[in-house]
Amino acid sequence: MTVRGVIALIPDACTSCMLCVRECPTWCISLQAHPEQVVDEGARRPRTVNVLDAFAIDFGLCMYCGICVDVCPFDALEWAPDHDYGAATRAGLVQPMERLAAWLAPP
Amino acid sequence: MRLVPRDEWRTVLAALHASGLVYLDLLTAVERDAGLEVVARVVRPGSAAAEVIVAALPADDLRIDSAVPVYPGAAWHERETAEMFGIEFTGHPDPRPLLLRTGLGAPPLRKGTVLAARVVQPWPGEFEPSRPDRAGSPSRRRARPLGVLDGWPDEGGRP
Repeated sequence: MTVRGVIALIPDACTSCMLCVRECPTWCISLQAHPEQVVDEGARRPRTVNVLDAFAIDFGLCMYCGICVDVCPFDALEWAPDHDYGAATRAGLVQPMERLAAWLAPP
Repeated sequence: MRLVPRDEWRTVLAALHASGLVYLDLLTAVERDAGLEVVARVVRPGSAAAEVIVAALPADDLRIDSAVPVYPGAAWHERETAEMFGIEFTGHPDPRPLLLRTGLGAPPLRKGTVLAARVVQPWPGEFEPSRPDRAGSPSRRRARPLGVLDGWPDEGGRP
């Protein structure tokens, strides 16, 4: 059974593909990224990768449908069991990348 | 399910009530291409007996007799259906909006009503990581958010 507590981000797995942002029915995910050239050893030319700069979920808009978790091709979004993330202000419900990453971080 | 002419709505309900189906289980509306349908389900308490009746309303005349004289419990259902779908229940003793503020404009559960949040908030999916500087450029193929109508919001198109 899926525990719909909070949605956690694994930043290292995220490729900034924008699928979750575009599929989200409530528009609660935002993402910032930029392209960078990576030179692989032995490769003939550098390849371009997107580097994730910022990622945020607004839990004041999220309806916990889980579409972002399902649609992520790299399993960078996962359900975490925590429920205790209430906030005193509206802005406090917007969780930035660092906070989303901490939900599933190894102890 | 039984389709009844709109003019016979209250007569049919009264007959159902007289036959023992005295509990109003549900009263709501459904939007169809040709207009709206008002749906009611009545049951006999303590048994499995139930009847669903449907009346079609043309889009240009959304009026139907109120069921409140027969089923007093229909009052709140009709107030909610009226404000959500823009239907007028004639003969309702207290037709104030139930949940919404007055003067809100378009009935929110109609398919043609545009969600205000989609107008004031830019779509986060517009951003393109491979070309962050060109986000929103008119030359770029516009990626359209799911569920948003073609030609929206300028032409108020339908899906």
